[in-house]
Amino acid sequence: MDEPVVEIRGLVKRYGDLTALGGVDLAIRAGEIFALLGPNGAGKTTLISIVAGLARATAGEVRVLGRDVVRDYRETRRAIGLVPQEINFDPFFTVEEALRFQAGYFGVRLGEARLAELLEVLDLTAKRRASARALSGGMRRRLLVAKALVHEPRILFLDEPTAGVDVELRRSLWAYVRTLRARGTTVVLTTHYLEEAEALADRVGVIDHGRLLLVEETAALLARSGGRSLEEVYVDLVGRRQAVAR
Amino acid sequence: MISLGFRTLLAKEVRRFLRVPGQTLGSPLVQTALYFLVFGWSLGARLRDVDGVPYARFIVPGLVLMGVILNSYLNSASSLFVMKLQGTVIDILVSPLSYAEILGAFVLAAALRGVLVGAITFAVAGAFTGFEVAHPAAALALVALVAVTFAGLGVASAIWAQTFEQVNFFPTFVIMPLTFLGGVFSSVRMLPRPLAVATRLDPIFYMVDGVRAAMLGVSDASPLAAAALVAALAAAALGLAYGLLRSGWRLRG
Ligand SMILES: Nc1ncnc2c1ncn2[C@@H]1O[C@H](COP(=O)(O)OP(=O)(O)OP(=O)(O)O)[C@@H](O)[C@H]1O
Ligand SMILES: [Mg+2]
Repeated sequence: MDEPVVEIRGLVKRYGDLTALGGVDLAIRAGEIFALLGPNGAGKTTLISIVAGLARATAGEVRVLGRDVVRDYRETRRAIGLVPQEINFDPFFTVEEALRFQAGYFGVRLGEARLAELLEVLDLTAKRRASARALSGGMRRRLLVAKALVHEPRILFLDEPTAGVDVELRRSLWAYVRTLRARGTTVVLTTHYLEEAEALADRVGVIDHGRLLLVEETAALLARSGGRSLEEVYVDLVGRRQAVAR
Repeated sequence: MISLGFRTLLAKEVRRFLRVPGQTLGSPLVQTALYFLVFGWSLGARLRDVDGVPYARFIVPGLVLMGVILNSYLNSASSLFVMKLQGTVIDILVSPLSYAEILGAFVLAAALRGVLVGAITFAVAGAFTGFEVAHPAAALALVALVAVTFAGLGVASAIWAQTFEQVNFFPTFVIMPLTFLGGVFSSVRMLPRPLAVATRLDPIFYMVDGVRAAMLGVSDASPLAAAALVAALAAAALGLAYGLLRSGWRLRG
C-alpha cells in the first residue's frame, strides 16, 4: 500500500512540567483530508508545529515523505505548506510582495498565472497592491492561506483556517480544499467547527491532553454512531474523558 | 550559496529599510551632521591639530564608523526582533532556507545599510573638510568588516531579546559608551592615564583607529593589528549568531 506522507511515532513534547503531547502515533495518508479535532490546549497546534519545523520534539520521530523533519528539513519543508493559527502580517509590504517573498524563500519564482489564480481563489485580487495593514481580519487569514500555497506543497496544514472567515468564503475555501485534494494534495486541518470536519474530512482524529483518543474514517464513525452528528459523537467522547479525568 | 531563497530574503530586508529612508538613512545623517557641526566645526576651530591633522578632519573616521556601527546593528536587530514580535518570523522558519542563508541575508542587508549611512556621513563631512582618503580600499574593507560584526551582533541580540528595551540595551549601554571611549573625538594620547588604559581595552578603539589609519594615514595603534582584531571580532559575531539561529533558542518552541 501507499507509504504514509506523514508518519509520527512516539511523539512527545513537554514545556517544562506540562506535557503538550504525550506519545502520539499517527500516519497521514497520501491525498486524504484529515481533520484533527480537540478542545483548546489539546495539542493540535503543537503537533502541527513539530511536523512543519516550528517546534522541536522532546522525543519521538516525525517523517514526511519518508524523510526525517529535523535531519532532512530542507526536503521536508519544501513539501509542506502551513497556515498558522495566529494571524501574522508584515505591514511594510503589499499582498503581492508578501506572496512573491514567500515563494522566493521556497526557491520558487511566482509566475503571473499562479499569482492570479491564488489571488482569485482567495478573493484578494482587488487587494493585490494593498498593504497587509489595510486588510480586514478575514482577508489577512486568506493571505496566510495564499502564502502557504505559493510553492504548491504536497501536504497542506491548516490550523483553524476558517476562524473569523465569513460564510461565503468559508464555503469557497472548502471547495478549494477539495480541489487541492483532487489534484493530489494531502490536507491536515484543525477546526472547532465540527460540521466543517464532517463535510470535508475523509478521516478524523480526536486529541485531548496530548493523547489521540480516536482516529477513524469519518463515514465509518458516523455510520456506527447511529445517525448522530460528528459534533454529538465528539462531545460524547471528549466529555466522557473529562468526566473520567475528574 | 546564492540561491533564490537567499536573494529573496536579502531583497526583502533591503527593501524594508529603503521603504522608510527618513528613518533609516535620514535620521542618522542629521544626527552625525550635528555631531560634526558641533564638535568638528565650532569647537574644532579652537582646538589644536591632532597628529598634524586639523581636528575637524581628525573626527571624520570616527563619525563615519559610529553611523556604520549603530545602523548595522539596528537594522538586523530591529528587523528580526519585529518579525519575532509580529509572528512573521514563521515565514522563514517553515521555509527550506538554511541557517547560513538566513544569517547571510540579514547580515548583508544590515551591513549594506551601515555602509550606506557611513557613505552619507562621509559625504557630509567631506563637504567641510575635503574628500581625500589615504587608502580608500583598506578603509572600505575595514568599514565593511565592522558593519558585518555589528550586523551579526544585531541578529544575536534579536534572538535573545524579548522586549524592545532589550533590543536597545546593547546600543545604549555597550555601543555608545565604547564608541565615546574609543577615541572618536580624541586621540588616546590626549587622555589622562586611567582613561587611556581603558581605551586600550575597548575593541571599538581599534576599529576607529584602524579606519583612521586607512583614511588619514595617522593612527595610535598598529593598523594591521586593528585589521586582524576586527576580522576576528566579525568571525566571532557571525559564529555567535549562527549558533543561536541553529539552536532554535527563542525562535522554535
Ligand atoms: N510555547 C509554549 N510554552 C509553554 N506551553 C505551551 C507553549 N505552546 C503550547 N503550550 C501548551 O501546550 C498545550 C497544547 O497547546 P496547543 O497550542 O498545541 O493546543 P491546541 O490544541 O492547538 O489548542 P487551541 O484549540 O486552543 O488552538 C497547552 O496546554 C499550551 O498551553
Ligand atoms: Mg491551536
